[in-house]
Amino acid sequence: MMPDSKRFLHPDAIKRISRLDVRARQIVEGFLAGMHRSPYFGQSVEFLQHREYAAGDDPRYVDWKVWAKQDRLYVKQFEEDTNLRCTMLVDVSASMRYGTGPLSKFEYGATLAASLAYLILRQQDAVGCVAFDDRARSVVPQRTRRNHLDSILRSLDVSAPKGKTDVYPILHKVAETYPARGMMVLVSDLLVPREPLFRGLQLLRNRGHDIMIFHVMDDDELDFPFEGVTRFEGLEGDGELSCNPRALRRGYLAALGEYLEEVRRGCVRLGTDYALLRTSRPLDAALAAYLSNRLGMHHRN
Amino acid sequence: MPTFTHPALLWGLLIAGVPVLIHLINMFRHRRVAWAAMEFLLVSQRRNRTWVLLKQLLLLLMRMVAVAAVVLMLAQPRLPTQWGRYLDSRRVHHIILLDDSYSMTDRHGGVSAFERAKAAAQRIGLEASNSPRTQSFTLIRFSEATDTARGKADLLDETVAGDFSKRLSDRLKDLSASETAAGPLPALEAVDGWLGDNPGEQRIVYLLTDFRTRHWNEPADLLPVLERLTRSRTALRLVQCVDRYQPNAAISSLEVGKSIRAAGVPFFLDVAVSNHSDSPLDDVVVQIEADGHARPALRIPRVPARQTVRDRVSLQFGSSGEYVVKAELDSDAVAVDNRRRAVIDVPGDLPVLLIDGDMDAVDATYLSSALRPGGTVATGLAPQIEKVRYLSQNPLHSFPVIFLLDVERLEDSAIKTLEEYVAGGGGLGVFLGPRCSSSFFNENLYRGGEGFFPVPLVGQETLFVDRLEKAPDLEVTDHPIFRVFAGQRNSFLSTVSVSRYFATVDPLPESIASSVGVIARLRNGAPLVVERPFGKGRVVAFLTTAGPEWNNWARGNPSYVVTVLELLAYLGRAGETTESKLVGDDLEIDFDAAAFSPQVRWLPPTGHDLKPATSEGVLQDDGSFLARFAKAPISGIYRAELSGKSGDRRTRHVAVNVDPAEGNLDLVDGPTLAARLEGLDYQYEAVDAFRYEEHEAAGTELTDILLCVLLALLVVEQLFAYWVSDHPPRTAAAGGAS
Repeated sequence: MMPDSKRFLHPDAIKRISRLDVRARQIVEGFLAGMHRSPYFGQSVEFLQHREYAAGDDPRYVDWKVWAKQDRLYVKQFEEDTNLRCTMLVDVSASMRYGTGPLSKFEYGATLAASLAYLILRQQDAVGCVAFDDRARSVVPQRTRRNHLDSILRSLDVSAPKGKTDVYPILHKVAETYPARGMMVLVSDLLVPREPLFRGLQLLRNRGHDIMIFHVMDDDELDFPFEGVTRFEGLEGDGELSCNPRALRRGYLAALGEYLEEVRRGCVRLGTDYALLRTSRPLDAALAAYLSNRLGMHHRN
Repeated sequence: MPTFTHPALLWGLLIAGVPVLIHLINMFRHRRVAWAAMEFLLVSQRRNRTWVLLKQLLLLLMRMVAVAAVVLMLAQPRLPTQWGRYLDSRRVHHIILLDDSYSMTDRHGGVSAFERAKAAAQRIGLEASNSPRTQSFTLIRFSEATDTARGKADLLDETVAGDFSKRLSDRLKDLSASETAAGPLPALEAVDGWLGDNPGEQRIVYLLTDFRTRHWNEPADLLPVLERLTRSRTALRLVQCVDRYQPNAAISSLEVGKSIRAAGVPFFLDVAVSNHSDSPLDDVVVQIEADGHARPALRIPRVPARQTVRDRVSLQFGSSGEYVVKAELDSDAVAVDNRRRAVIDVPGDLPVLLIDGDMDAVDATYLSSALRPGGTVATGLAPQIEKVRYLSQNPLHSFPVIFLLDVERLEDSAIKTLEEYVAGGGGLGVFLGPRCSSSFFNENLYRGGEGFFPVPLVGQETLFVDRLEKAPDLEVTDHPIFRVFAGQRNSFLSTVSVSRYFATVDPLPESIASSVGVIARLRNGAPLVVERPFGKGRVVAFLTTAGPEWNNWARGNPSYVVTVLELLAYLGRAGETTESKLVGDDLEIDFDAAAFSPQVRWLPPTGHDLKPATSEGVLQDDGSFLARFAKAPISGIYRAELSGKSGDRRTRHVAVNVDPAEGNLDLVDGPTLAARLEGLDYQYEAVDAFRYEEHEAAGTELTDILLCVLLALLVVEQLFAYWVSDHPPRTAAAGGAS
């Protein structure tokens, strides 16, 4: 049975919440409530609070003065400084319209982006957003204000998916727009030519950006469970095909596997973080991946 | 090429195109999906196009073959013999059960049903002899199957080889329909009984018969045998040898009526004509022949549909002896039941014993005069007047009837002899008179109902004359003795006047009331003529005199003579009918062992190929020989020649007729037969359409093989379809979040 705190992370539950900001808050708070140890307290000059010592705490943060007065061990907690500039790159092309579960790939990706933005803003970091298809549909600059979330959400909310993904010009533009080093979170189905994608990513890496890719795919695309004679019509105008899907399934899955492997290898080669997400799965996997990456950044930085 | 039992079903092969049609319809009924990952789909389609097309074609082909296999299976194909013999090595055994009862002589279009059946048997034999497979042949006639001996089969498990067809033809040529009424049951039982069980051969039983209602409308006795045959994988083919129903009439009975037969005495011959058709027969003429001479024909105005009409003709023979009479109808569908014969034994004179208690024998004289009037009138009776003591001194069995007239007293031995005589079947007439004593009769002859006298007596009574009374003294009932007077308004009976009589106890004791019949009463209601059965015989008592002492009946009244003769016929053994023998019965005669040697030479009816036979008489307890002729094969007159010890020869005659029931030619049609034989696996066909074809039995049945192929094909098709369709596994092919 799913823990109560994770109830709101599941796509079925998310679907019932219409407002994206509420969704994001529910997801993030629900996700954090499930963690034993708050992960987003860091080292800073601005003292926030005391907390009773627990096994595993770094002894460096023990407040010895308090110990001297009360004979109890307390650790000091500080509000962390903003040292992260994060940009959400959200694919809103026509191929993101596909979805058979509670959420389409676009809805899933938007929810994910909103949740991450909320989390980032809560951590006092700066977050911006670029929604794109064949061009940048909307660009929101990086800010740390709490109410900045509304701007990001508005840019996602108004962006109905359309057009064909053309990723290199977008990435090139992003590199030009955000010259300062930061983190780039790409949310897309990556149904694009691989060479321009990797070239764009390489460009971002060269500019010192940390890149995290959330590869969003539908169950149907990963499992191809169709039966009976079916006519497939490309969402981005890439042809159509009448066939018996059972007969082509094996070949389809092989081609898909090759593609996923190529993407994964490419990401490894470029040193980007990569996570394949099913739209039917809870969002905590994505959040956990992000936080893991965030901790990794501390070590790298 | 294989042949098919139902070739018309091969049109159903067009259904094999249905899978293609379904495929085409499915192509037009596709659903549409807006798809993002077209790239991988197009790659897969490019890589697998040829192989997918090939697999789909293979699958389509398998489905078409499966449908075609179902159609072929229904059409029941058989491999030609040349191929089949390599597959089926079993021997084919043709068992022909040939109905030769006389109803098979039913002719239509100049050909009898039996001839058609023989032709069908010949066709089977010819086809079998042309077959390269091992075949054997059995031919059993219905009439011969009643015999338990295996050797009675015309052909028994004979291997078909060489000139078999010619041998069969010769054998069949000698066969003709019998005159028996044999049914199919013995022949069917003979298949098991004579041939036993042989799983190594393929048996086909052909029943070549006419399917009359007599045997097939309620075939409860046949069903168990037929079921047993079909259960043992014997193919059953019922061949109807008659193509339409034909009306038929028959003489169903010819016998002497209940009247006295004697030389010079006219008697009646009863003739019964049965109409087995649905329309009445008008103006039916029955030709009568007696002792080889034609007699006036009997003309029956109408025989209603499905009914039997009886009539009688008067015959008279001048001298004693055995006479042959024959009755014959005009020809119709079946000839043999239009004739019927009877042998009538006419004795010279019939002795009648009259015991009179009076020394002058007045009563006996009157009675004797009535029985044998003399002159030119012949009654065939020889009355013998004796005293009372004759009863205890002489055997009585030679007398058909004995009369006791005004007997005063009988010795105990005489009473015992008389009681034995009546109990053994003799007839006793008793007339009372002034010498009779009621106490003697009650104590010795009635004995409270134990004795032969029918009623207890009270005493003599006088019937007073009443001149004002117009009613006759005698009131008779509807009894055989007085039936001849029935309907006559002024019969001579009304002039009979009775003055004295013996009164009986009134009412009669309950112990005897039910067995005593009052045949005639006086006008005062007192019983005058009573009767009572005693053992096998019967006693009729007149409670008045036989002579004119107490009445005027015997004095010149013609009704007296008639009544006495009718009384004699009623009481006497002369009324027994001659026994009728049917074809197939054993014939028996008994004769005096003292006068004849035991050898009897039997001469069958002339005009047939039957040879005389000799049999030995077996000595019986009563000192006579009993000689037997087994199973009379045809109808007609059989003569038995006896050799007297004194060198003389004597000939006895026995008439044998056909069973009239077989003359009913009603048919059971195919649908009715199907209802009666419901649940039985058989093939019914008309003899003209019947054709035994070698491939039907000798060809290898492919239905079972096709069934196996079909099942295998369906299994392979399912596996192949599963493989071709690439069913997704239960778990997702690609992982989730990595």
